[in-house]
Amino acid sequence: MKTIGFYQGCCFQGPDAHMFDTLKKVFADLGVDIKLLERTTCCGGNTIEESNRFLVYSINARNIALAEKEGLDLLVSCNTCYMVLAKTKHALDSDPELREEINKLLAEEGLEYKGTAKIWHILPYLVEEVGIDTIRERVRRPLKGWKIATYYGCHIKYPKEVAVVDSENPQGLEELIEALGAEPVKDYEGSDVCCGYHSFYTNKDIALKKVVKAPQGAKRAGAEMLVTPCPLCFKAQDIYQDMAPTEDKVPSIYLPELLAYALGYDAKQSGLAFHIIPVDKISVNASH
Amino acid sequence: MTVERAVLRVYRYNPERDEKPYYREYEVPVDKAQTLLDALFYIQENLDPTLGFRFFCRAAVCGSCAVKVNGISRLACKTPFKELVEKANGKPITVEPLNFLKPIRDLVVDHDQPFESLKKLQTWCEPKEPIPEKEYRIPPEEVKQYERPTNCILCFACYGSCEAVMDDPKYAGPYAFSRVYRYVVDSRVKEEHKREMVKNAMDVGDIWSCVQCQKCIYVCPKGVRPAEDIQNVRGIAAEYGFKDYPGVKKLQHFVDWIYATGQINRLSLPEEVYGVDPTPLINKFRERGAEVWEVPKPLPGLLEFRDLILEVMKEKKPHLDIDFHHVRRIDKRVEEVFNADVCTKITERFEEQREDFFTRFWKKLSEFFGTK
Repeated sequence: MKTIGFYQGCCFQGPDAHMFDTLKKVFADLGVDIKLLERTTCCGGNTIEESNRFLVYSINARNIALAEKEGLDLLVSCNTCYMVLAKTKHALDSDPELREEINKLLAEEGLEYKGTAKIWHILPYLVEEVGIDTIRERVRRPLKGWKIATYYGCHIKYPKEVAVVDSENPQGLEELIEALGAEPVKDYEGSDVCCGYHSFYTNKDIALKKVVKAPQGAKRAGAEMLVTPCPLCFKAQDIYQDMAPTEDKVPSIYLPELLAYALGYDAKQSGLAFHIIPVDKISVNASH
Repeated sequence: MTVERAVLRVYRYNPERDEKPYYREYEVPVDKAQTLLDALFYIQENLDPTLGFRFFCRAAVCGSCAVKVNGISRLACKTPFKELVEKANGKPITVEPLNFLKPIRDLVVDHDQPFESLKKLQTWCEPKEPIPEKEYRIPPEEVKQYERPTNCILCFACYGSCEAVMDDPKYAGPYAFSRVYRYVVDSRVKEEHKREMVKNAMDVGDIWSCVQCQKCIYVCPKGVRPAEDIQNVRGIAAEYGFKDYPGVKKLQHFVDWIYATGQINRLSLPEEVYGVDPTPLINKFRERGAEVWEVPKPLPGLLEFRDLILEVMKEKKPHLDIDFHHVRRIDKRVEEVFNADVCTKITERFEEQREDFFTRFWKKLSEFFGTK
């Protein structure tokens, strides 16, 4: 069993606490022990930068240092948390003065940013560390006949210095979907269009225009649903898409939920039963 | 010896003659072109003299030759042809004009509109008075702040890749806000004009429409980071006290909740930003059987985290201060939820830390207000 430190950010709160439980059991089934780093805090959501960038570097150097103190690498699910943490790592690793200044602040809490922890996003971790074959072997409920559009989200593609997939030709999700027995739909119109999540509270109108583009493009390309490794893209496509003035809503699935369902968990255990836009493919039990 | 050849699939459109745009394919010997611009010249000189494209300096300085290559905005003169061919792996390389700009002919687009935006936003130096007799003295630390945005060559690669431009015709464009930032942090510019530029960025240029996708950073051939400059201008707007904009309310939420709990609270955002009651949404989740946490669980280590934030804020002046009255309301709410046992799961999970947590938490808070 491998062990990795998990950075949760603000993704698994409100109505979404179950999403972490799903992720944890899926990774356990795949031979990875997720150790929640409980002292880590919000990354600032790519918003605290507006107020002060040094503050963002400080709180995320602390987040990384908490993993390093335990001798663990850091696993992140949210694309934005991943980008903000990776930008911090990039800044501190390339600027010794900045690192020293921040380490003086962290010393108060007995922490030090060393730069030794690798920051993993779940998508490459699943593909490279867990392995497609392992995932294929554990499938108990092959998703035969499911046509699933792949949606990577922006912050693992851009900017270049932190990208974990090829920005212009991202890979990984398709292989995963095939391993689960489903059929991936790639390069549909809108597959690279932003989900709009981060503009919902700065300009709602634009968020509601953005959020429908990928789902509608996916549908036109013959997909029945989308899958994304990012919990924020997922929330946008589940909640904001529902608010948008389009008639056909296309369900979106958070990658660990899809894995859970294929690994044999039921609609509630996987979290698929809790979606605002129902996933018609599953047979939800009577309590729904 | 056979020379390797690559196929370019080029967008063609002459509004005076063609009903609609079409694509034409050209074969270019790979060894005849170092850059994509060379390849376009090869076509014009050897295959089709009617092909229109814009260029001038050929050295990534003038910003004339930005085009869309396989969907991505690039400077033709700065795009190595061989790399492009290798990446295409036998498939044609599609070359099109930049997105979102009025087509003039073939790869040439009209730059008037983005230049007009700069005029509307008034992105220039209105000098601070009194104007010194010799020159303004600018310390090197200040120059560092706007060195990067100053490198913008107005090629509009960012504009052609922008997710906000795609859906908001009023949106000025990433380059425009880098320019706003560049002048707003310049000590030679008078304060009234800085305020004017920031107000224009919001009301004329719709800066709050930026979705922070980071594509502008990805495509910029000069290493300018417009998405980050946009964050900077937004923060300055908050500092100037433009509190009625949703984005400023959102920032206040982030600043206060992260300080108070170590996290934002996604369920109170609708209320704090738009005055919308989140209960119907919460009920939807409850109807589906999901457990809902009304406030984030308290994190261990929160007091040390709060100290870190205050320490940083003392040293580096943030654009937006913590609203401690709001923090106190958040603290009360957190305490209510946990004492009222609304959320049994959290209470169970964090029972051990709870008592110790609140004792230290209030002590620290009263210490802070005592010394302020």
